[in-house]
Amino acid sequence: MIDQLGNGLMLGVIIAVSAVGLSLLYGVTRIVNFAHGELIALGAICTLFFSSPQDSRLLYLDRFSPLGMEFGLSVFFAILLCGLAGALLELLLFRPLRKAEVGNIAVLVVTIGMSIFIRHLYLLFTTGKVQKFPLDLQRRETYLFIDLTPRNLKILIAGLIVMFIIGCFLTFTRLGKAMRAVRDSNELASISGINSDQIILSTWIISSMLAGLAGIFQGMINDVRWNMGFLILLLIFAGTVLGGIGTSFGAMAGGLLIGVFVQVSVALPFMEGHTEAKNAVALGIMIIILLVRPQGIFGLKERVS
Amino acid sequence: MKVTSRGVITILVTTLSLGAVYVLNPGSATRLMFSLLTFAGIYGLAAIGLNVHFGWTGLLNFGHAAFMGMGAYVTLLLIPHAAGREGEVTTTGLPLILAIFIGIASASLLGLLLGLPAIRLRGDYLAIVTIAAAEIFRLLVRDLEAITGGVYGIISYSDALQKYRPKIIDSLLVDMDISVNQTWVGVIAWLCIFAVLLLLKRLNSSPWGRALRAVREDEDAVRALGKNSVWLKLQSFMLGAGIGGLSGILLAFNYGSLQVSTFVPILTFYIWAIMILGGVGSLSGPIFGAIVFWVIISETDKIAEIIFENANGQQLAGVRFALVGLLIMFLMIYRPSGLLGKKEELLLDVK
Repeated sequence: MIDQLGNGLMLGVIIAVSAVGLSLLYGVTRIVNFAHGELIALGAICTLFFSSPQDSRLLYLDRFSPLGMEFGLSVFFAILLCGLAGALLELLLFRPLRKAEVGNIAVLVVTIGMSIFIRHLYLLFTTGKVQKFPLDLQRRETYLFIDLTPRNLKILIAGLIVMFIIGCFLTFTRLGKAMRAVRDSNELASISGINSDQIILSTWIISSMLAGLAGIFQGMINDVRWNMGFLILLLIFAGTVLGGIGTSFGAMAGGLLIGVFVQVSVALPFMEGHTEAKNAVALGIMIIILLVRPQGIFGLKERVS
Repeated sequence: MKVTSRGVITILVTTLSLGAVYVLNPGSATRLMFSLLTFAGIYGLAAIGLNVHFGWTGLLNFGHAAFMGMGAYVTLLLIPHAAGREGEVTTTGLPLILAIFIGIASASLLGLLLGLPAIRLRGDYLAIVTIAAAEIFRLLVRDLEAITGGVYGIISYSDALQKYRPKIIDSLLVDMDISVNQTWVGVIAWLCIFAVLLLLKRLNSSPWGRALRAVREDEDAVRALGKNSVWLKLQSFMLGAGIGGLSGILLAFNYGSLQVSTFVPILTFYIWAIMILGGVGSLSGPIFGAIVFWVIISETDKIAEIIFENANGQQLAGVRFALVGLLIMFLMIYRPSGLLGKKEELLLDVK
């Protein structure tokens, strides 16, 4: 069980980083973004495209050969691009929908349609092959009692730092406070002179950049697939729900817990020979939590009913 | 029956899209049409069930694939079949009609089970719960290989239905390159649609149907009038799930071999696209939605082959799915009431 802990922490950090973005966006805009997974995949696919050597024929439409950039630089540009994608989604799609007073459920269905659309564009572009970043293989080492590769250890630390920064940002900065104000009550925030359009735009950008980062983590830890975002989306929902939807700190904790739980559950006695069904256990927990304590572990009751 | 301009437009669009199949496929159009109409019948039936959930009651069900799967698996496992990698054909089994009945009942029961969260949760939470539950169902079916055949699926069950195939189908289709098995499934699917629509039409104008729509509009008012809105929601969930189960059974017989991968979330999204296309809340809308949808789907592949010349099969299927996504998006933004739906019958806000 202990040897699964490392894997669990890695999955947990991916889920937690993306769950923070999802939950922040839900809190501020009330949009359940089913296309969040596609922003995750965008981060990974962009990094793959930027960093792969130019002569590698990894993508469909051969006229776009990879750029062969240095890896760190690729990551930087990929995250920027994710932020840009988030901004465009808000400006071109979701702001007009909000102004037209389209209902929340209609917007939810729109995000589902968008998720299907974008995901299969990725399929068209990446040929559906499982691909890897141009990074060297590393051996696992033992830190304290957890087995991790040095790179994964760095990812884990980076993820925790990012979440810490996001936490500080929400708690102490003007923009962060404004976001929480809009989340708690849009009208009251407007009265105190907060421009909610601007806040929502910033939220989209931050949420998408976090998603992109999570995707890059996923690509570095495992691999890059066209549907990698959708495969993990339900687990992100589970993490968000576990921590309490709309709460950022809850989403971090819930995400980490779900990740660790999914991987560690593989080692449980009754799961022997049933590792393929490990996600079912996490989803089952999510449903039970929604039934028993819909506000999650850290959520407030009034946000649910 | 009142003739409305919407009705005329719908029938026009449906006829035109069927005509397009003939224009675009000289030679093979008739064969294509039989397969297309069979799929449209089966998916249309599923969309009618989904419409009971979303269109009538306002329940955001994104796990319809699980209801279809439940119906299909329970029915097939009760009749003679072969499951798994080296599955031997079981010779004993229940009579088909009884098995189908139990299959539908199990789907309804799953609906009841999934409906329980619906009582407590708001719309968007319900969407997450249902899609997660459908994934749990699929993962469990895949995992329980000893019973369900797992990834190897179930085969050798078609005879149970095909032995009832009337001779007239064989004699009508003799010398034509058309599958008699599929045609027989298609005939049954459309008979089922007819029967279900008759039933729903009665229910819709009954006090029960009115109470259901009242739940969608204003649940508190329904409660204030002394109706049990919780039980009404659960009944709606069971009814829609049962119809979904029936459609899943037909889908299984249409394929002739059952794969667990049939019931991935994208199946649910197909059904959603059909329901929105036909008209949310409209009784017969899903039928037209299903026909138009399958025409679009089957013609996309050909256009995609021309545009993306060196794409592989998976990528070509991707074009089709991308189009479904786009369709859902645009319909939801520009025409949420679909071809046939009434705008005032549409509930799109979280209460």
